[in-house]
This record gives sequence, C-alpha cells and structure tokens, in this order.
Amino acid sequence: MTNPFLPEPARIVRKFELAKDVRFFQIRFIDMERALSFGYTPGQFMMFSIPGTGEAPFSISSTPSRPGLLEFCIRKAGRLTEALFRLRENDGIGIRGPYGDGFPVNKMKGYDLLIIMGGLGAAPLRSLLLYALDNRELFGKLHLLYGAKRPKDMLFKKEFLEFIGREDIECLLTVDKDDAGKWPCYTGFVTSLFERIEDINAENTFACVCGPPVMYKFVLEKLVKLNIPKHQILMTLERRMKCGIGKCGHCAIEDIYTCMDGPVFTYWDVLHMKELI
Amino acid sequence: MKDSLNNMKYIEKNKLVELIKELKKDYILIAPVKLKNFVLFRELKENEEPYLDFLNSRNSPKEFFFPQTENIVEFEGIIDKRVSKLEDIKNKKRIILGMRPCDIKSILILDKLFINEDYVDNYYKRLRDNTLIFGFGCNKPRTTCFCTSFESGPFFKEGSDGFITAIGDKFIIEGITEGGKKLIEKLENADKDMVKAKGEIEKNANDTVPSSVKVEKIPEKLREMFEHPIWEEISERCLGCGVCTYLCPTCHCFDIQDEVINERGRRVKNWDSCMFPIFTLHGSGHQPREFRYQRMRQRIMHKFNYYEENFGVIACCGCGRCITQCPVNIDVREIISSIKNVKLTISNEK
Repeated sequence: MTNPFLPEPARIVRKFELAKDVRFFQIRFIDMERALSFGYTPGQFMMFSIPGTGEAPFSISSTPSRPGLLEFCIRKAGRLTEALFRLRENDGIGIRGPYGDGFPVNKMKGYDLLIIMGGLGAAPLRSLLLYALDNRELFGKLHLLYGAKRPKDMLFKKEFLEFIGREDIECLLTVDKDDAGKWPCYTGFVTSLFERIEDINAENTFACVCGPPVMYKFVLEKLVKLNIPKHQILMTLERRMKCGIGKCGHCAIEDIYTCMDGPVFTYWDVLHMKELI
Repeated sequence: MKDSLNNMKYIEKNKLVELIKELKKDYILIAPVKLKNFVLFRELKENEEPYLDFLNSRNSPKEFFFPQTENIVEFEGIIDKRVSKLEDIKNKKRIILGMRPCDIKSILILDKLFINEDYVDNYYKRLRDNTLIFGFGCNKPRTTCFCTSFESGPFFKEGSDGFITAIGDKFIIEGITEGGKKLIEKLENADKDMVKAKGEIEKNANDTVPSSVKVEKIPEKLREMFEHPIWEEISERCLGCGVCTYLCPTCHCFDIQDEVINERGRRVKNWDSCMFPIFTLHGSGHQPREFRYQRMRQRIMHKFNYYEENFGVIACCGCGRCITQCPVNIDVREIISSIKNVKLTISNEK
C-alpha cells in the first residue's frame, strides 16, 4: 500500500544567496533514475520535508525541459525554512510531489506570453519563462516584466540581465528605488513597464502574474485595459498548505483546494471565487 | 420474513458482559464507557463493562477511523532511515458496539472524502475494513438532536453491520451484513412479540426527535450568500475556541506536525480547526481569513454548501454536539433557520 505522505530521499546539490534571506537551491533525487524521469509542469510545487522540523510547500523554479535537477527559490520565513537554511550542500532532504495544477502550457502553445512578476513571484514564473525559452518555437512573442524593491532584492538578476538585448525575449526590469544610482534598467513599479511594451496582440496573449498580494490589483487593471481576455490572465497564488492532496482543508477556497485545482488560477476564477487573493 | 426473523436475535441485558468477554477473544471491542460526568467511546479494558444507558457520548467516535493523532511517517535521525507507519497498523479486527445512528451517518459522510474514485486514504480504509459497527437505536433522543433533518433518524441502519434495540431488560440485535449476522448467530432468536415491540418503537421513532431543520435548498442558497451580513451577526458572540469542530463527527481538517524524542521521531496528522486564525496564516504573514466571521462562514459553508457540491451530501448528521458544548450557546439549528429566513436581494448575489 502506498503512503502519499512518505517523502522521497533527495539531496541539496548546490545553494547560494539570491538576495537577503532568499536562497537558491538545487535539489536532486538520490535515485538517479527517479531524478532523470521526474516530470512536472511549470507552476507546480513540491513539499520539502526535514524530519523533526516538518514540511512546507515550495514552487519549482526550474523547467521540466532540463531534467535531473530541481531548482527552488526560497525565502527564510518560518521554522522549516530556518532549518533548511542551516543545511549544507550534499545534505539530505525529503521531497514529495509534484503537486497542483501548473500552467496550461499545452493550451498556451502558439500564444504570446506576457510574464509579470514582483519580488518572490519570480520563483514559480522562472519555471515558465525557462520552459518557454527552451521551447521557443512553441510560443509567439515573449515579454518579461519584473519589478523588485531595490537592485539587491532582484532575484536571478544576473540571469535576467543577460536576456536584455536578445531578440527572442523582451526583458524589462525595474526597481522601486535605486539608492546607489547604478541600476542599468528602469525605476518605478512593475506597472510602469506596461507603457514600454509595444503592440500587444491581446486576443493572442497569455498574461502570467505572480507577486505579493498588493501587486495584483494594479497589474490586473493594466491587463484588463489591454483587453487581454480574463481566461488568458493566469495567476499563481499562495495558501497555507499541509497535505498537498486536497484533504487537510487548509488551502480550501469555496469547494476547491488550492493544492489540487491551483495554485494557478485565471482572472475569471478570481472574479467568481471569494477569498482567492 | 422468515429470513429476517432469523437475523433477529436477543440477549438479556445482564448477559451482555459474557458476550463481550467472548467477543474480546477475537476482536478489539470499542464501546461507550462512563467516566466522571460524561460518556466516551474507548477500547474496553480487561473486565471493563460498556455503559449503554447513555444518550450519546461527549466525543464522537470518528476518532476510531480518523484518529486525533495518527503517525504517517516515522524516522530515526536522518531521512534515509524513515519508515512508513502504514504497514504497522494492527490487522486485528474491531467491533464498535453501541454507536448511535447519527455518528454512523457521519462515517458514511466521511467515506465520500476518504474513499472515492480519485483518492483512497489507506489508513482510513484499513480501519474501516477491519471494523464491524453495531448501531444502537435511540429510544430517547436528546433535546439537541436533529438527525431526521439529514435523511437519518434514531433507527437509521445504513452503515451498521448489526443493530441493537433496547426493550425492557433485553437487547434485540438485528444482523444486517454477513459479518454482523455471523457475529450474533449463536444468540437466541427473538420471538414474535419482541420483534413486534421493536417494530412499534421504530415506527414512531422519527417523531420522538425533538427538533429538525429544513435543509432543502440551503446549499443552493448559501452559494449566493457569501457576502451577506449574516455572517457577522452569527459570529458576534463566537469565542473562536474551536470546540464545535473538535467534537463534530464530520469535521475532518488536519494539521501535519513533527515530533522528536531522543533522535527518534514521527510525523503525525493531528485534527485541526478552521476556527483558528493560524489555520490559514501564510508564511509571509498574509492572512486570507483575517476575521472571525470569515472563519465561521468557512465552517458553515463547508458543511452546508462546499461539501454538498463536492460529494452530494451535507456534512452534518444532526448529533447536536456543537450545540451542547458551545460555551456561548451558538446553535447551528438557529443558524440554518436564519439562513432560511434571509431574503436575497440582487446585491447579495455574485
């Protein structure tokens, strides 16, 4: 009989700081075959398990188009993450998943992608971004809009700065404040980047948004103004979760469970469901 | 008729102890036991007698299928030594004796969540499969009982393997499933008079339930009432103690926690309650259900709308425990009546 709560053994391959209290983790299943055959969809998440401390869910930041290693972008926020941050490279860890309904990448084929992220919202959306870049021929135009508080808070800064000037992606990066005055890109909120994107073909665009709760209202206003259909505006949302399999009740929103029917929701869902954001 | 008569057995009340002694050889026996000032279901200890002169137990016997604390993973120091608890679950068969029909109904409600097409909770299923339930008809319902509102009643037999009716100094025991029939085959057959007396009690039983609520159309109506001011009114005096969810036989939310003693540890499922703010508090500090009325709304909505949407049945069995134990006398029957009395205007609809 199977036990859905049993974590699989994995190890931390590599870790480094992305910003203050935000760390990048590369994780690999100890079983090589499992590591190479493990499939998932951008937007899905895994439960991390540290015996004696507990479990917590984290979005996968890597793309299934690069099998072998799973990548995560994790902010220290509680007991589990504090313990996780004490672990060293090659230390063991338990993982189970993948959970949730990721981005509908098959439905999105042929469409332009407008990826909008704020702060830690880069964690789940980097998966979709890298997936689109690895399967570039499957999608139309690719826009990335990313806003962080300050340059030092921008996650994957080096990686994203490399995208600037490339023809296969339009990458617009902004920071709220640039105290040092050395930031090479834009300043202002992420919404200020909308005026810099040219000719959006709204009917043929999927907008994918993730950021702090306060960001959604303003970004959604912009997207609606652009006439992007509500079912083509996708958001990946957060909820306290425990089981990951739709039973424990923590992430319940109306009659659905975020861990099963989310965390990716459309703007149409948000308008028709309560307490979603 | 002949067949059903053969399934109708009886035992003198004072002989029950001997029967239990016999059954304990092969089964774990769970039955109501009288403690200081309340009754609880528990595994009968050596020479412990069941207490069947009760209205209902303080706690619901759901814990014998959905334990308050249940190991899901055990570990020793590092992850590689982890073991699954599942294989260790005792295979010894159990009998729950004297379970009230409302509580049996609640297990039928929980079955839909834990054993369905998409998901089978192996822990729950193993406990279900290993257990024979002997229901116990309610000759005298409590003032807070309203089981008849949910297609159930004081002599509702679905879910029972056998069913006990108290008549005078005897228990009439009806075998329902093959397992139940087999267990009582050695008892004396009930005679015609006993069966007739039993029929009389059952016939008028539903009328003895002192209260009821009309739940027809409540799920549909609630769908339009998410933003109605009623939730603030209902929750005004709620203390948020969570006792209603703790005692509720259909509440099934759980937390997962790790416990470690001397390098050995276990990961456990614990009952949790949607009435506590931490239930939804994010690691980031964001709180999607900030106010008590939102949590009260979640509890009522989950029982009377969401569960019905997902599983076709309302998650309430009318046992009345949330009414008798609420420290501020919140009465779910009144809540349902208030919902029923609400006149929806366009602005309340989504």
